[in-house]
Amino acid sequence: MTPLLQLKGISKRYGGVQANSGIDLRVDAGSIHAILGENGAGKSTLMKLIYGVEVPDDGQIIWKGQPAHLSNPSDARRLGIGMVFQHFSLFETLTVVQNMALIVPGSKAALSARIRDLGARFGLTIDPRAVVHSLSVGERQRVEILRCLLLNPELLILDEPTSVLPPPSVALLFDTLRALKAKGMAILFISHKLEEIRDLCDTATILRQGKVTARLAPRERSARELATLMIGRPMPPAVHPTPQGLGEQRLELARLDYLNDDPFGVSLSDIGLSVRGGEILGIAGVSGNGQQELAALISGELTLPGSHRDCVRLMGLPVGDLGAAERRLRSFAFVPEDRLGRGAVPDMSLSDNALLTAHSRGLVRNGFIRRQTERSFTADCIARFDVRTPGPHAEAGSLSGGNLQKFIMGREMMLDPAVLLVAQPTWGVDIGAATEIRQRLVAMRNKGAAIIVISEEIEELFEICDRLHVLHKGRLSPSLDVARTTVDEVGTWMIGAAA
Amino acid sequence: MRLKLERRDAASRWATVAAPLIALGLAILTSLILFAALGKPAGQALYSLLLEPFDGWYNISELLLKMGPLMLIAQGLAIGFRTNVFNIGAEGQLIIGAICASALPIYFPTATSVWMLPAMIGLGAAGGAVWAGLAAGLRTRFNANEILVTLMLTLIATQVLNYLLLGPWKDPHGFNFPQSVMFPDVALLPILLPGTRVNISLLAALIASGLAYVIMRHRFSGYQLLVGGLAPRAARYAGFSESRAVWMSLILGGLAAGFAGACEVAGPLGQLQRSVSTGYGYSAIIVAYLGGLNPLGIMVSAFLMAALFIGGDNAMVSADLPVAAVFVFQGLLLVYYLGSLTFIRHRITFNGMGRA
Amino acid sequence: MSLNRRNFLKSSLAATTAMTLPIPAFAADVLNVALIVPSPAADVGWSHTLELGTKALEAKYGDKVKVTLLENIAEGPDADRIMNKTVADGNTFLILGSFGYMEGGLKLAKAHPEVSILHASGYKTAPNFSPFGARYYQGTYLMGMAAASLTKSKKLGCVGAFAIPELITSINAFTLGAQSVDPAIEVSVVWVNSWFDPASEQQAAKALLAQGVDVIFSNAQDTPSVIQTAEEAGVYAFNLNSSMKAYAPKKYLGVVGTDWAPYFLQSVDAHMSGTFKGASAWLSMADKCVFVADWNPDIPADIVTKITDAQSKLESGAFSPFTGPITDQSGAEHVAAGVTLGDDMILSMDWHVKGVTTPLPK
Repeated sequence: MTPLLQLKGISKRYGGVQANSGIDLRVDAGSIHAILGENGAGKSTLMKLIYGVEVPDDGQIIWKGQPAHLSNPSDARRLGIGMVFQHFSLFETLTVVQNMALIVPGSKAALSARIRDLGARFGLTIDPRAVVHSLSVGERQRVEILRCLLLNPELLILDEPTSVLPPPSVALLFDTLRALKAKGMAILFISHKLEEIRDLCDTATILRQGKVTARLAPRERSARELATLMIGRPMPPAVHPTPQGLGEQRLELARLDYLNDDPFGVSLSDIGLSVRGGEILGIAGVSGNGQQELAALISGELTLPGSHRDCVRLMGLPVGDLGAAERRLRSFAFVPEDRLGRGAVPDMSLSDNALLTAHSRGLVRNGFIRRQTERSFTADCIARFDVRTPGPHAEAGSLSGGNLQKFIMGREMMLDPAVLLVAQPTWGVDIGAATEIRQRLVAMRNKGAAIIVISEEIEELFEICDRLHVLHKGRLSPSLDVARTTVDEVGTWMIGAAA
Repeated sequence: MRLKLERRDAASRWATVAAPLIALGLAILTSLILFAALGKPAGQALYSLLLEPFDGWYNISELLLKMGPLMLIAQGLAIGFRTNVFNIGAEGQLIIGAICASALPIYFPTATSVWMLPAMIGLGAAGGAVWAGLAAGLRTRFNANEILVTLMLTLIATQVLNYLLLGPWKDPHGFNFPQSVMFPDVALLPILLPGTRVNISLLAALIASGLAYVIMRHRFSGYQLLVGGLAPRAARYAGFSESRAVWMSLILGGLAAGFAGACEVAGPLGQLQRSVSTGYGYSAIIVAYLGGLNPLGIMVSAFLMAALFIGGDNAMVSADLPVAAVFVFQGLLLVYYLGSLTFIRHRITFNGMGRA
Repeated sequence: MSLNRRNFLKSSLAATTAMTLPIPAFAADVLNVALIVPSPAADVGWSHTLELGTKALEAKYGDKVKVTLLENIAEGPDADRIMNKTVADGNTFLILGSFGYMEGGLKLAKAHPEVSILHASGYKTAPNFSPFGARYYQGTYLMGMAAASLTKSKKLGCVGAFAIPELITSINAFTLGAQSVDPAIEVSVVWVNSWFDPASEQQAAKALLAQGVDVIFSNAQDTPSVIQTAEEAGVYAFNLNSSMKAYAPKKYLGVVGTDWAPYFLQSVDAHMSGTFKGASAWLSMADKCVFVADWNPDIPADIVTKITDAQSKLESGAFSPFTGPITDQSGAEHVAAGVTLGDDMILSMDWHVKGVTTPLPK
């Protein structure tokens, strides 16, 4: 049988970096093929070459037995290749259906109907009239997947599609993907969730440092074996925190209400939670249920009127009406879910990005920036948190998602805060780095810090948290003790079924 | 085969040097054709436009005179532009600065105090800052767009100037012409370069450039402004105050423009008159962007824009070019330059052939 | 600087071999004249008439005189630099077309005694610096007579550029001329404070129309906006300097024109023969500078006779509009019966005659 897609000796170089080198790949119709690799292994580059975003320096792309020249994505789409990116390509000021209409032909009304229909079938419910900027990261990814499916592709490339989906939706998506495969569609599936790959994929290609290191059938291997092949060394062990003595109350939210002006935003009502030193509190829930708003209210990016300042207490003092800078002065630190443009300035060097929140750590004296201190702080952060980058002068925007996350996480941890808020700590981060980040969070907790982790990955929360709340439609579940609850119980709260 | 622009990994040094030269070459080529079609002496025209402003001590001194206010105002504006606060009304702030500075010599025409000049400059700078501060107040208090407000305030400033010159500040012996008395000597800036019109305000502009450099490169407050411009959400995340950025941007821009206005009336004008600014406030916007909003770049672009303005006037005098042809040449040069800037960060690739 | 004009020209000549390159001739036997005006030298208006005056120089002297026109030169430091530049380029006769060039021009005159300068509508004089102006009021007096014969509302209007004596005298003479036909005539004035601002001028004209004015005097505008607005409203209008009949074929009342050629020719002659002397020149109908033309055929025959009569008296100098008794706006007698105002009084006029209803801005 002629393979649907075949790559022969594909190479691509960016400046000094050999992103792909002599890659061979074969994808058959009616199969799901996994591409496995750490961040920076060259997966995304390879997908961009297949999707026509980039042109290979060397090698051949063969589509249904014919050499194909893909010079842009519309060439690829014409052949029948669709792709869902890890970083979204949506216009934030347009509605969902307007975004679709830019690529998919058909009237807006018909498109809206198809969006609703597909969404219902795949558990990807979305309001076609919603403006994209009001959607959470998870919701935006649903829009991306739906937009691809609307074009009925023969080959669908999915770059880490499940990272933001709640477990029931992941199962639904997998059902869909299997159904698509049964109809003869080929799927290239990029993920670092090894269990998912073993569950879903027929074949897998493993990349390391731009080269293919293995081709195998994932169902025949253990997750540990796959991970070792992927990172080139044995897996770091998973961490499970042992309970320990709790410190004093560090952060407390009580009877916190927030009315969102944005019609597509989420309002919060009657939020109550508290964290003590020496514990990790998890906030579970599907993206778009008020996580952004909750994080902003805790960080001080959203402030409350003075009459409600008591609703947020940091280190025992009311701070509801204080801004982000003042809360940071009170030993608070925060790793936001969106790294580029919020946690870091893409066009600035890592050194200058260190200054963003670490200015109080001796990086500024008498209003002057101390470049030497700034550089050594940054170099320290890069070394201690294993950030893969040419050095402190590299622009934040040039780092891969995982490396940038390590940098931001490192920066905030080096502030040695009494309270650390982390949103989606390992989203888009490869398995090795993710384990490391979790280990560090636990280590911080053991040293007495109070940590809040907002995450959509239940497994992650179960791995590191002492207690959990579930956020659903702007309301918080009661506190659940991780040792005494189950994934099923949390899943029930996540879809709002528990009373 | 298709042409495609591809982003370079880093700015190309070669293109950085070549871009202005290519722009200049294209502008010369186009205008040679244009001038020939007009039947004007092309060689003479280009000489007047491009080389004469640099030919000889006197010409260079005139260049420096023109460059001073452009540079000063552009430095002030660029700080705001980098944090996305768009003060378009430097022209109005300059006019108010000129008015405030003129109040002293107009009310004390026989004064002999050496404090006259510093007081005038201080009043002028303060006036410009207050005028810009109005826009900052409206923006931070009522979220009024500073582009519109500063622009409208310029119209108001012009009317204030007209009112004063047609009414209370009119020279009583000036036959009702709309201009003030000539200022006494103590109200005039000392000449910096003997035998020319260049006064010490040029030094002020150079010092302001140095300050702008320090603020944007070495001060934490400047860094906060940069973050606010490059990534507003990151600034909110870090807790950098947006209203502080708005105030700082507009006040600095207003200070610089007001200072420049004071230096114009106390410098080459020697009196308050209707044409106190020949569009310095607007030209400075172009200067700021041509200089890449970079304090050092602005020093260069102010010099070049001044040369371009003076060259244009020269071409009318020496080559008999109509004023419209001069504008066309200046426009061509700017358009080609901005176009060629693309190649500093991008390169052309021939798509469909595969990259060799 | 190692590059000078001459070797630059050589190098650029190579690049432009196909073109002829007329290098400006600065030979001693050619007089280079520069005319500097503040607005674009359009087809009508003040700058245009000055340009026409210099054309007469070229017509008479041919190759012996070369005129460079510098238009749209803002008053201020730029104008000073450009004036200096013209002299450095070998121009020895300058005509400065705006009041605002006065201080810069005087400095230049002092620094370059070999240069002769004519300066429009100023009041300062130097040995080689002559202010010049036109007695527009002679013409506007006649226009007032014509306007009075055509108005029904007995309300006349004027759109004025700046409230300077030159324009005030024009309005006063216009009013006196109208009152000589009908003493009940009133005149309202709107000042736009610009020589060249079509939008404001149009608005001003509309404001006058709204007051019921049915003849409009466009006082020293360089654009035909007022004339056009009046034509559209079916109202008579006239202007100064050059005819705008083309813009108002039906209701054009006429023009108080200026012809600078005789004065320019005379001054250049004096400069060439070395007898130029700085002196104030206030040119009249007798000097062939001020004239009236393009009269509207609607003016009744008896008035035409009266106008022709008054015109010949003005030309001969037998009559001045500013002959007493003249009452000012306050009702007080400003010029006693039988007294004629001297030039210095007219040149510094800062009051309106009775009948001008708008107070003068102070």
